Amino acid sequence: MITKYYRPSTLEEALALVARENTVVLGGGTVVTAVRGGSDTEAVDLQSLGLVDMGVDTGVLRIGSMCRLSDLVASPIVPDILRDLARREAPNTLRNAATIGGTIGTADPESQLLTGLLAFDSSVDISRVGSSTVHTLDAILGDSSLLNGGVITAVSFAATGVATAERTGRTPMDTPIVSVVARRNADGVLAVAIAGVADRPVIVDPDRIGDLDPPSDFRGSSAYRSALASILTQRALVAIPGGGSS
Amino acid sequence: MTITLTINGAERSFECAPHESLRTVLRREGYYSVRFGSDTGETGAAAVLLDGRLISADVMLAAQADGHAIETVEGLSQPGGMHPIQQAFIDTGAMQSGYSAPAMILATKALIAANPNPSEGEIRDALSGILDRETGYLRPVHAAMRAAAIMRGDEPDSLGIVHLDPLLGRQGPHDNRDDQSAIAPRVVPSVDVPPTRIVGHSERKTDATRLAKGNPSFTDDTDLSRTLIAKVLYSPHAHARIVSIDDSKALALPGVHGVIHNGNVARVRYASGGQSYPNPLPYDQVSFDTKVRYVGDRVAAVAAETEEIALTAIDLIDVEYEVLPAVFDENEAIRDDAPVIHDEPDMDGAHDASRNIVHHLQAATGDFETAIDGADRVFTQTLRVHQVQQTPIEPHVAIARWDHDDRLVITSSTQVPFHVRRMVAPLLGLPVKRIRIIKPNIGGGFGAKQEMLIEDIVGHLTMRTGRPVRLELTREEEFVSSRTRHPQTITYTTGIDAEARLVAQRMEIIGNTGPYGTHGLTVQMVSGLRGLSSYNCPVKVFDCKVVYTNIPVPGAYRGYGAPQALFALEAHMEDIAADIGMDSIAFRRLNWTGVGDPLDIAPHLGEGDQDLSVIPIIMSSGLEEAVLQGMRAADWDRRNDPEWRQPTDRPHIRRGLGFAMAMHGTAIPGLDMGGASLKINDDGSFNLLVGATDLGTGSDTVLAQIAAEVVGTGTEDIIVYSSDTDMTPFDTGAYASSTTYISGTAVKRAADLVRGQIIDRAAILLDADPDTIDLHDSAAWSGDGRSVTLEDIALSTLHLKDQHQIMATASYVSPESPPPYAAQFAEVEVDVETGQVTVLQLVMAVDCGVPINPVTASGQVEGGMVQALGYGHCEEMAYDENGRMVNAAFGPYKIYRADEMPRLEAILVQTMEASGPFGAKAVAEIPKDGVAPALRNAIADATGVRINAIPFTPERVWHALNAT
Repeated sequence: MITKYYRPSTLEEALALVARENTVVLGGGTVVTAVRGGSDTEAVDLQSLGLVDMGVDTGVLRIGSMCRLSDLVASPIVPDILRDLARREAPNTLRNAATIGGTIGTADPESQLLTGLLAFDSSVDISRVGSSTVHTLDAILGDSSLLNGGVITAVSFAATGVATAERTGRTPMDTPIVSVVARRNADGVLAVAIAGVADRPVIVDPDRIGDLDPPSDFRGSSAYRSALASILTQRALVAIPGGGSS
Repeated sequence: MTITLTINGAERSFECAPHESLRTVLRREGYYSVRFGSDTGETGAAAVLLDGRLISADVMLAAQADGHAIETVEGLSQPGGMHPIQQAFIDTGAMQSGYSAPAMILATKALIAANPNPSEGEIRDALSGILDRETGYLRPVHAAMRAAAIMRGDEPDSLGIVHLDPLLGRQGPHDNRDDQSAIAPRVVPSVDVPPTRIVGHSERKTDATRLAKGNPSFTDDTDLSRTLIAKVLYSPHAHARIVSIDDSKALALPGVHGVIHNGNVARVRYASGGQSYPNPLPYDQVSFDTKVRYVGDRVAAVAAETEEIALTAIDLIDVEYEVLPAVFDENEAIRDDAPVIHDEPDMDGAHDASRNIVHHLQAATGDFETAIDGADRVFTQTLRVHQVQQTPIEPHVAIARWDHDDRLVITSSTQVPFHVRRMVAPLLGLPVKRIRIIKPNIGGGFGAKQEMLIEDIVGHLTMRTGRPVRLELTREEEFVSSRTRHPQTITYTTGIDAEARLVAQRMEIIGNTGPYGTHGLTVQMVSGLRGLSSYNCPVKVFDCKVVYTNIPVPGAYRGYGAPQALFALEAHMEDIAADIGMDSIAFRRLNWTGVGDPLDIAPHLGEGDQDLSVIPIIMSSGLEEAVLQGMRAADWDRRNDPEWRQPTDRPHIRRGLGFAMAMHGTAIPGLDMGGASLKINDDGSFNLLVGATDLGTGSDTVLAQIAAEVVGTGTEDIIVYSSDTDMTPFDTGAYASSTTYISGTAVKRAADLVRGQIIDRAAILLDADPDTIDLHDSAAWSGDGRSVTLEDIALSTLHLKDQHQIMATASYVSPESPPPYAAQFAEVEVDVETGQVTVLQLVMAVDCGVPINPVTASGQVEGGMVQALGYGHCEEMAYDENGRMVNAAFGPYKIYRADEMPRLEAILVQTMEASGPFGAKAVAEIPKDGVAPALRNAIADATGVRINAIPFTPERVWHALNAT
């Protein structure tokens, strides 16, 4: 349960608070506040820090961590595919509060937006008291301790190249059982990211889809998820301009 | 901590705790339009505008909102009227229960503020965060369109009824175009229906204003000081004996006022299904048992000063369990080695509890073996239907308190207030006369609230503590611990003759009633009734075992056994037609029932007193017309177009169209009874008191229309008060598609009596022959054109001369249950590589007799189809190996949202059902019956693959595609 609420007005204040034990960072709060009970924590709300700038510098799009998913959906400088994935990430009510930093911090294993950001080879800026680091999103999803004691301030990626997404779900806006985002960057290098085949969205080698060993649940057995990963990757590679070869 | 919010333009400061949600604080401060649907934000019932953005107040701390501007719907109403958006929601019939209407109205406001001319897609996106279990979203979307048009100064779409030309008997090609206003109700008129002034017109809902304004009108909006919060300790085991319960630590916790469990609550056996006296056996429940039989079963309950204390106290109750083996599948439960779920010595009324068989139902209209031996061809098919939940957005909630006369008053979101009063009395040890049940507005029920589910808990806790006690289920509790739809394994064996006529049909069911009987008997009886009534057949046999298992409890769910049966029947009939090479509609047409045909299995599968020698006869059917209208609207001929079936630009897609017919009942004959009382007021308005329970369907409005038609006034002059056991006549409740037909006839009878009294006085005042007097336009009119107003008649009788109260009470029980009919069509796309099914369109043409209110009737069809779509397509309760539900939340449990809907079309095909009030039959449940089989048959049409189990989730379809 949240026992104390802080709304620091500077990043330094926020970092000092977050450096302490038992704190939780609030972006929009849609995930964190949905958890009831649990151990006592103190909430550090970043809403007064700014962190809402979005801009392109030498081909790299940098998005402040407190940008809401609805801001991404509305932004003409965000690649269309990521705008669509941000829209699919949550319904309107939650999209208007949830932030891109919170999406990374809470790391929904089935997140379509994170899958897209992975395919765009995103990197994440993390500030701590006295230091700041940059990690790839892939590294953070693989090791959430990289966020410990820190605040995500921005995510950036090259907003260039071409990308496409494929998915299979129970209904059109369902969280997909498996979703695939393929992207070819400006240098022609291909990246394929898949959600629904592991405990997090992963970058895969399209020639080694068969090596995946997805977990099973009621929506999809391991075998089915493997089959979907293969089918949807094939489709994405056919659909992406430039074809499947790298 | 102190926070300051600008709410609806006024700055206000509140004390709150850091963990409290914005919803909690707003409700505490009296903003009751902000409603509870879940704690995790995905229902959107608590959506408000924060700095103009629509956000879910469930998942925002009140502290996060500190310093921001909040808008709730309370701030929207303008002096002298409604905001145009509120008015548009009223005018389009966008509100059924209206529980989430404030959120939708705010969503529309935010959208139009940013975009005065939004597209349908943008509106659907704006509503995507507000789940609606009632309307199918069609009317809310069009309400938003209408509001935007009006606010722009544009002419909105017409709301007038679109009259479609009958197609039956017409020669030549049909005109497929119907490009009129998408929101206007479509009615195919019948020449047999006499003209009416109020009935048959789209009157505004009588409770629309309070709903659109977000006024406190639901159970949880009851404001009582000193109310304690109840929480229930639920079983973590699917099957276990409770060895001991120690509540001492919980009781010692400051703020805890009472703990109840099997050690301190009397052991009184009962059946929880809300049904007429005597409740069907078995009586296999007690308030708190020494055994738990599913994950989610009751163990104990606590009343405490706050929810946090109650939850802490629940954790402090020490329970020692002896875990027992469990069984979940109905076919495994009747094996010899299955665990015995009811082994208690005082078990009462099961067929064979030692074998987990609750009931064994058998019925036959002839010698099956002989008939099947004589058949030209015989087809046998086994199908499985699964478990789903009703998921009303308002969960179960009840508040108990003592009144000033030491009578226990329970305000409850229930469909059956009178049954609850009678059923809860022995559990509490109180006589019925010391209990009053009040039913406020209900935020949807769909059968889940046809149950005495939590009223005994709040009653016991109020009696123990002396304080008001409130219990509201969380979303997870609503999934796991309320009620669900019965899973069944169904086997049909059907013989046909050389002309493809049915000669013998047997339906065998193993029905899974979970650990308690409740509605197990009657739901399965209805499955038999519905599964063996659609088609004529000289020999029909029903054989059904209803069995105990350890799954969360099935009960009543809109459709009540019919959706299960008709999935199986309409899949079976489709496949027989395909196997004999006959058009599937032609095969059905050869066999389906119509006017003059007997409902021969009905006397064998009825409730109440049954006379097997009296076989009901069908007196009205619009099925033929409905099928033609549905074929037109669904563009059925596309089935023959290869380019449509297999689009060249998407090689993995196959398209198909599917059909299913549906036939339902209208109320339980000889059993369902409704009462109504009507009295005139000084100004010529009327109070209509009904026991009927409007659970959001608009039944209060339909009853008001019936009364208004008879006494010659408008619905605005009929003040409806429904279901308060102290104030209104008895009614069995809102179930079995009975309200319009049964309660409506009671209202009509009471109104006829009142009409006579009005005419008597008018004859004196006008000095005219009573036989020449007619009532309309709120006045009595003599044959020569003179009139006296209802107000003058009321003043005369109440104050001036031969004073008396013009009033009457009447009730009605029907010997008949006339069947509504429907033609259901579904259009799908199947991805043959992944198994993903996308539903593009649902069309239902329904004969519900004369729709009393075409808008609310259309709303029933649209919303019912979408619930039925969930049943067939994407909803399922999933469990781990220990019987714990793994998807007890919206999202994992998938219900459709506004931005992913197929196109919907409802067509009302009029027939004149002489036994119904103004010709009406039922409409509420039949929309649940045909979608799953139509979907299934559409998938078969698209791919050639026949799937005998629902739902059609991607992996199931993928397996089926790969098995061929």
